[in-house]
Amino acid sequence: MASHTSSETFTDQVRAAPGGEKITYCFSCGTCTATCPIQWIEENYNPRRIIKMVMLDMKEQVLSSPFIWLCSACDICYRRCPQDIRISDLMKAIREVAIQEGYEPVRIVAQVDERTCAGCGMCAQTCPYEAIELRIRWVNGQQRALPEVDRLLCHGCGTCAATCPSSAISIEDLSDELIVTQIREFAEVTGS
Amino acid sequence: MVDAARHPKVDVRTYTEVERVEGFVGNFKVQLREKSRYVHEDRCNGCGECAEVCPIEVPNYFEMNLSPRKAAYVPMSQSVPLVYTIDMDACIHCYKCIEACGKLDAIDFSLEDRLVWEDVGAIVVATGFSHFDPSVIPEYGYGRYPNVVTAIEIERLINSAGPTAGNLIRPSDGINPTRMAIINCVGSRDKRFNPWCSNFCCMYGIKNAILMKQLNPEMDITIYYIDIRTPSKGYEGFYDRAREMGIRFMQGRPTLITEDPETRNLYVHSEDMTVGQVVEREYDMVMLNQAAVPQPDVDTVSSVLNISQSPGGWYMEYHPKLRPMDSPTDGIFLAGACQGVKDIPASVAQGSAAASRAGRVLHAAEWEIEPVVASVWEDRCISAQGKRCGVCARACPYGAIQYEEGKAPHIVVAKCHGCGGCVAECPQNAITQLHFTDAQILAQIRALLADRPEEKVLALRCHWCSYGGADMAGTSHFEYTANERGLRVMCSARMDTDFIYEAFRLGAGAVLYSGCHSQDCHYITGQRVGSTRADRLLRAFDRMDMTPGRFRIEWISAAEGDKYARVINEMQELLDSIPKEELLEEIERLRPQMEKRARRMREVPQVEEALEYADRLKMAMIGEEV
Repeated sequence: MASHTSSETFTDQVRAAPGGEKITYCFSCGTCTATCPIQWIEENYNPRRIIKMVMLDMKEQVLSSPFIWLCSACDICYRRCPQDIRISDLMKAIREVAIQEGYEPVRIVAQVDERTCAGCGMCAQTCPYEAIELRIRWVNGQQRALPEVDRLLCHGCGTCAATCPSSAISIEDLSDELIVTQIREFAEVTGS
Repeated sequence: MVDAARHPKVDVRTYTEVERVEGFVGNFKVQLREKSRYVHEDRCNGCGECAEVCPIEVPNYFEMNLSPRKAAYVPMSQSVPLVYTIDMDACIHCYKCIEACGKLDAIDFSLEDRLVWEDVGAIVVATGFSHFDPSVIPEYGYGRYPNVVTAIEIERLINSAGPTAGNLIRPSDGINPTRMAIINCVGSRDKRFNPWCSNFCCMYGIKNAILMKQLNPEMDITIYYIDIRTPSKGYEGFYDRAREMGIRFMQGRPTLITEDPETRNLYVHSEDMTVGQVVEREYDMVMLNQAAVPQPDVDTVSSVLNISQSPGGWYMEYHPKLRPMDSPTDGIFLAGACQGVKDIPASVAQGSAAASRAGRVLHAAEWEIEPVVASVWEDRCISAQGKRCGVCARACPYGAIQYEEGKAPHIVVAKCHGCGGCVAECPQNAITQLHFTDAQILAQIRALLADRPEEKVLALRCHWCSYGGADMAGTSHFEYTANERGLRVMCSARMDTDFIYEAFRLGAGAVLYSGCHSQDCHYITGQRVGSTRADRLLRAFDRMDMTPGRFRIEWISAAEGDKYARVINEMQELLDSIPKEELLEEIERLRPQMEKRARRMREVPQVEEALEYADRLKMAMIGEEV
């Protein structure tokens, strides 16, 4: 937990979090926003605006915004950013501050079903965001290796859910059953 | 240019390179390589018959390779002198040109480069700048999409003397574009390539937009920018005029250009920041306003002239505000963009300033230099006794020390700038610096640490930066401890290890070793000499188990008054945090080692005398026996 002094601004807080160091480099050129593939889907997502709002210390508006949870860390903008800012890291830093301040991630994350999990660890290996870690825990008097999902790091991509051989990991609100039902209904509607 | 060439007192040498420079201010000897044109300059009358018959065509560099030229060529029609050159890389030796030249007999394939020596009093470097190649930015597609062109290519395409006689056409199909995008900051203000602002591109882009609008008032022109910078006189009015003419300005740096493979039209993707929306607009042609970069051969030129470079590769000026046209080497002056990107008015101003600075040298029978130069005590030099050394010559940033084995070094006084690097580096203490002799500085240290030395922070400051930083702290009223004792030398290179050993031997609480940041050094590489030595000292004190922080190295610019005050206060806090008995015990423990390391100091001429004098003064001041 970062120490908070009265003079510490929101920008300072983000700068102090890992990945947030370069935030003040941003001169608002808009390259990231114009690059972002998430912007194609969610028109109101604007990384440049989020960075600017942080620098204007609009803490409440930024941390309660659903947009800070959207970056998928594809890093296309990083390659084009003229100020050498890795915006995915910056977003991670902003999220870190959000979690510290008690804000909940506004996005779906992976969930583990401890009853069916075999502890093979394939989910941890495939996760592109290194959000899953195997931890030894005592469950009902048994010592078991169970995956733990870091809600901060998980982007809800579902790679783990598709990989899991025992279907023990799934994405909230997007379970295998739900997807299969959707496919069935779609097949029925199209009549094949 | 023509006037210059005709002037009886101006000797224009074109197609010539400077190979070597020797000597010093007022007395330079310059070796020039006059490259062979394979044409007798005195016979050629510039009629161009040779070019007419020449069967070889190569891309014309002057026209940005948009049109061809012959292997027998002049770079441009206004060339001075108007003498043709045979491009031997392209020539097939058909000798048709010799035939065409006929009676003039100007062409001679046996001509070779000539090496000549010239005596000159002063040198003005005005080598200009080069252009950034935007093809390394894959997202803009320069080199892949024919209709993405650079600003200089547009410049030629709209020039009435250019390859299209001023008819602006796009390269893919030759039609006149009606929708044009101009992208600013291509490769500049970009940490991936060149972090600097290229200074003139905003105005230059606006100029080209206005010219194109004048050619075709119907043309739809959009300038993409991050910031528009129009700071000089009348520039903002020019920007106003562009907007009045209907040129559109769009804030937001484009991220991508895509091409329609059928029409070869281009789509520019950017965020329009004023509305906060991502937009994609279609254009017939895109002009990239590419960064200005240093000439590719800056390293060669700076080593030939012995002048240093600022970060990025621009030639370093003596002082950025007060002497921007002087190089750190006396008698060598800088003009124009080679010293840093600047536009035409600024280049002209600097060029005139450099010329008048050079004029001062040429009209002076004698040249005054700073009196703080180095001088050698030959009887102390081990090289004079036949041993190998040369440490002094290696430390000199100006090449002012001529070293020959078996002899005492010869210091070319006119080249010496008085950094004192050689003085401090000499292992035999065989060199001294006038007005900054070991004796003078050691006497000062004695006096500064006369009373309760364990409470003092002795700050060694360089004249140009950290001394200015301390001054800035004072004028800005940044408070720092009254226990600080400052000592000025010209450069951190002068800060002899003896001074620091002597300070600790006398019981100094803490010693600060401060100077310019490496890139700001006023003695080219003096700071590096000082910094290497300081690091060595730090390691030595570490091995002696001295409390870390009692010897501190900080590089502080003249603008960093706050940093100076902070560093001094931190050092005071460190001293406060050590119990006094422990500190005194440590000083006593280390004293023999300091004594041992500084023992040779007393052999230096005048030192003993000066120290005695300092001690007498101390006694008079505080009435205490040493």
